[in-house]
Amino acid sequence: MDPLIVTQAINLLYAVSTLAVLALGLAVIFGLLGVLNIAHGEFIMIGAYCAYLIQSWNLPYLVAVTLTLAICGLLGWLVEWIIIRPLYRRPFDTLVATWGLSLLLRKGAEAMFGLGYRSVAIPIPGRVALLGTEYPIYRLVLIALSLAVVGGLVIWYGKSRTGSRIRAMVSNPELAQAQGISVRRLAAGTFIVGTCLAGLGGVMVAPLAPVQPFMGLDYVLRAFFALIVGGLGSASGLLSGSAVIGGFDSVISAATSATNGYFAVLVLAILFLWLRPRGIVARS
Amino acid sequence: MRAASLVVLVAIVLPLVLGQFWAYQLGLYALYAAAAVGLGLCWGQAGFLPLGQALFFGLAAYLSGLTFIAFANVPIVAVLLIPLFALVSALLAYVIGLLVFRRPGESGAYFSMIALALSLLGFQIATSWNSVTGGFNGLKGIPGLPGLDDISDVYYVSATALLVVLALAGWLFNAPIGVLWRALAQNERRLQLFGFDTNQLKSVAFSVSGLMAGVGGAIYAPQQGIVTPQVVGFGLSADLVIWAAVGGRGSLLGPVIGTLLVGSLTSQLRDSVPFWEVLMAVFFIVIVLVFPRGVAGLAEPLFRTIEGRRHNKPSVAAPGDPAARPPAKLALHDVSVRIGEVTILDQLSVDFDQAGIFCVIGPNGAGKTSMFNAVSGELAAASGRIAFGGSDVIGLPPNRVGGLGVARKLQIPSVFPDLTISDNLAIALWSSRATKLQLLNPRLRRWKSPMLDELQSRYAFLATGARKAAELSHGEQQILELAMALLTEPRVLLLDEPCAGLSPEETAAVMDLVRWAAKRLGGAIIIIEHDMSLVKELAEIVYVLHNGALLAKGSVVAIQADPKVRAVYVGGEK
Amino acid sequence: MSPPRLVFENVTGGYGSTTIVRELSGAARAGEVLCVLGRNGVGKSTLMKLLFGYLPCLSGRVLLDDKPIHGLDPSARHRLGMTYCPQERPVFDDLPVRDNLTLMRESRRLAPFRRYFDRFPILERRLGQHAGTLSGGEKKILSFVRGVAEDQPIVLLDEPSEGVQWESILHMEAFIAEKKAAGTAFVVVEQNLSFAERIADRYLVMDQGRAMLEGSPATIDRGQILAHLHV
Repeated sequence: MDPLIVTQAINLLYAVSTLAVLALGLAVIFGLLGVLNIAHGEFIMIGAYCAYLIQSWNLPYLVAVTLTLAICGLLGWLVEWIIIRPLYRRPFDTLVATWGLSLLLRKGAEAMFGLGYRSVAIPIPGRVALLGTEYPIYRLVLIALSLAVVGGLVIWYGKSRTGSRIRAMVSNPELAQAQGISVRRLAAGTFIVGTCLAGLGGVMVAPLAPVQPFMGLDYVLRAFFALIVGGLGSASGLLSGSAVIGGFDSVISAATSATNGYFAVLVLAILFLWLRPRGIVARS
Repeated sequence: MRAASLVVLVAIVLPLVLGQFWAYQLGLYALYAAAAVGLGLCWGQAGFLPLGQALFFGLAAYLSGLTFIAFANVPIVAVLLIPLFALVSALLAYVIGLLVFRRPGESGAYFSMIALALSLLGFQIATSWNSVTGGFNGLKGIPGLPGLDDISDVYYVSATALLVVLALAGWLFNAPIGVLWRALAQNERRLQLFGFDTNQLKSVAFSVSGLMAGVGGAIYAPQQGIVTPQVVGFGLSADLVIWAAVGGRGSLLGPVIGTLLVGSLTSQLRDSVPFWEVLMAVFFIVIVLVFPRGVAGLAEPLFRTIEGRRHNKPSVAAPGDPAARPPAKLALHDVSVRIGEVTILDQLSVDFDQAGIFCVIGPNGAGKTSMFNAVSGELAAASGRIAFGGSDVIGLPPNRVGGLGVARKLQIPSVFPDLTISDNLAIALWSSRATKLQLLNPRLRRWKSPMLDELQSRYAFLATGARKAAELSHGEQQILELAMALLTEPRVLLLDEPCAGLSPEETAAVMDLVRWAAKRLGGAIIIIEHDMSLVKELAEIVYVLHNGALLAKGSVVAIQADPKVRAVYVGGEK
Repeated sequence: MSPPRLVFENVTGGYGSTTIVRELSGAARAGEVLCVLGRNGVGKSTLMKLLFGYLPCLSGRVLLDDKPIHGLDPSARHRLGMTYCPQERPVFDDLPVRDNLTLMRESRRLAPFRRYFDRFPILERRLGQHAGTLSGGEKKILSFVRGVAEDQPIVLLDEPSEGVQWESILHMEAFIAEKKAAGTAFVVVEQNLSFAERIADRYLVMDQGRAMLEGSPATIDRGQILAHLHV
């Protein structure tokens, strides 16, 4: 096979799977709880900076995961309690409040690390021969990890009792309460899972992205568009949305320029808003 | 007027008091303030948040910069074209608004995110389109405005531009369109049912805000001499939101105060005060959650004493309904509505007479409110026809159906709580009579009609115009909403449980009003009701719905005797 | 008379600023059914929501075993021993029937449901199907079984027979009788008078948000009840 095509194909797979794992946290929070957490990108940023810190302290890369989970978990719990919970039935106010949060987190990162780009060394460097071409190992690892994380979460959500209870709470909160589910606690837990997933995504992409306080904006927008296009509240929605948005972006950016890729994503999002406002996989 | 003169006076005197350095700073921030006023209009009045406002500022700035460079020898041409640059921004905003505001009643998240994405896209274009924009380093060497040498001259140009923007904003806030924007933010669905195209209203608001930002941007270019991608991008967009919020987004001067205070202070203190920006972020969150009126809210008592007493201007007679629309028959033919697997309306066919009081009854889930929602265009029908006055209204959006003369009173009292009673009533008057252009005329806020006089004489509280609707009791809000529906002089009136939660006296008052309305309007009044004693008193014909279809129709006595109806209400062995 | 498990005194409430229920009082005693009757829209479901904590009482009190429970949210009331089967949206449409039954139980075993499956075989046939595909009456049966199988001392049922075939309604009556014998207190909202007559130990007939008739079947004339039920 033509090595160029193989490379492009794997690049495409990489773009789609990475977008899926980065959008996963938002899919949980926006798709299940109905809360648009604009600060989602900043939780990704926190994960990336954790990776940077861990590396600068010469610790093994995996420790970054633990640090990120701790910080994003604690922060998620605080945010849900103070900002999100009082505003559950006021989506516009939630938008403004989480925008303020994203501002705070960005400025905090700026104060701690400055505006410059930090780089995180790739933990598994090198290339491997694959189908007639050479491809960076870490990217392949990321593809596998992304699919594993998304797949694992989807399976857990579908099969476990907690997953069923979350589905129950989402579709019929009154009945869930009637049966003794503490909706407040379950919703808080779900939110925290969402922020931790975002942080985890940040740890994963840190070596391949410029780590700087504004990095989260791009991710939250792409994640949001992937969810609008794909449809909220289902795994197939997340995957199809990531495929469409990630795919178009990757192909058009590679063929022309990053700016055109961005433009294409925007046009797609607006088109879907017109023609299929509930997304490819619309839940009733 | 007194407040306005005071503002102008302050604007003139400020540079003399503060000195050259601050005059220059304020000259710059006054331009940003123009953009912030636009943002405040969208956010504080119409209730949606453009997260990418800098796009319109920067677009006009680039256009202006390029033109000033091109006409360096004849700068007066560029000066004369300044309004055009602002208009380009306004047009872009209008187009974006039309594209994005498609789904009624969504939370605004989609709009905000798309606006944000557009600002980022603008930044990318400005950075990469080197040949035109000068890329990352920007468009340099823009000649200044002709004839201005002194720094304070620069200030006065900016201040004048800002004052023009404020005058425009002040006029619009005061005009009917401002009232409609505020109503939209409080209860979009109710406004649509009155026949107003809320998507277009939002697009107009967005367009005006683009214009205001464009004015600032167009003057920015010759004033600063350089335009970099920062003025299109996220940083300035974010700052504008903070400044508008901290200053007080709902008020006219709030965004200006926020920009001038916070903006200029930040540029000075950012380096000397540690964590200044983090502090500002915390401050923003606190203001948004706890004190949304911002700094201007604190100064409000001061403004009020300056403004003095409001003079009561005489009222203006509203034109009679130009279309002079007669009552019309409403009929549903085989209307089916499905949501997912659930059938809400099952080939429902109901034929209402043209005049009279009719009641619709039926068990829970029978489809009564859904039938009204289908008529209003709020529920999409899978099949069937809805005939009203000779046309088929199925598939029309709610504002068109409202515009055709279908008035509704909703199940839960649905007025505009933060507007005054007189504004609430005025909206009803504008609903079928005001042309789009007339909505810019503040005189319309004093419209009266003979029916309004009659209603106000029946219910004194309707004449206490300055009170906010939220201050009314539950029963009074029901009557206010009913009065508003009547003021539109509808061709058919749909009432959904008008007496829910009312005391016996309030119930009697509403029944009285309904009977009066039936005689006065001469059309059909269709009432969904559970309370059988009311049905027996009011209904000429009763329609019984069950499982989304018509079960029985007839006088009260007839349906009481109908065994099908009895089975539904009393149950039995099957 | 057996001890009252759930007591409501002069309860008034509604949605937001709309008052629907005014000054209602009553009690559910161990081993008895309190049947709340009335046309739709009179406030029966609102009363249930007030009893189970979905809506706050504007005035009056609700007592569980003589302890006031206002301020407790529905999941807390469930933990104190109350079961609720709502009238609208009685099951989780997106979950299979099996999960609907076992969601909050300690184990996923279905053995405890044998007795119910024997009387309602439709449930066993559709264990793997999403509950949203069931008919209205089947959903009510599913909701009834889930609620009764919780084995709690106080059970609130809102129109359990709506859309259900008569034979199944008779099975419901049998299960309710069984539970009554074991000391369970029931509050059942009903519009089907024939079913109500078979299970009720006390009636509370409502109209316009108020209590119109109260008492045991012996003291209340059927004709009077009919007058308040029928249009």
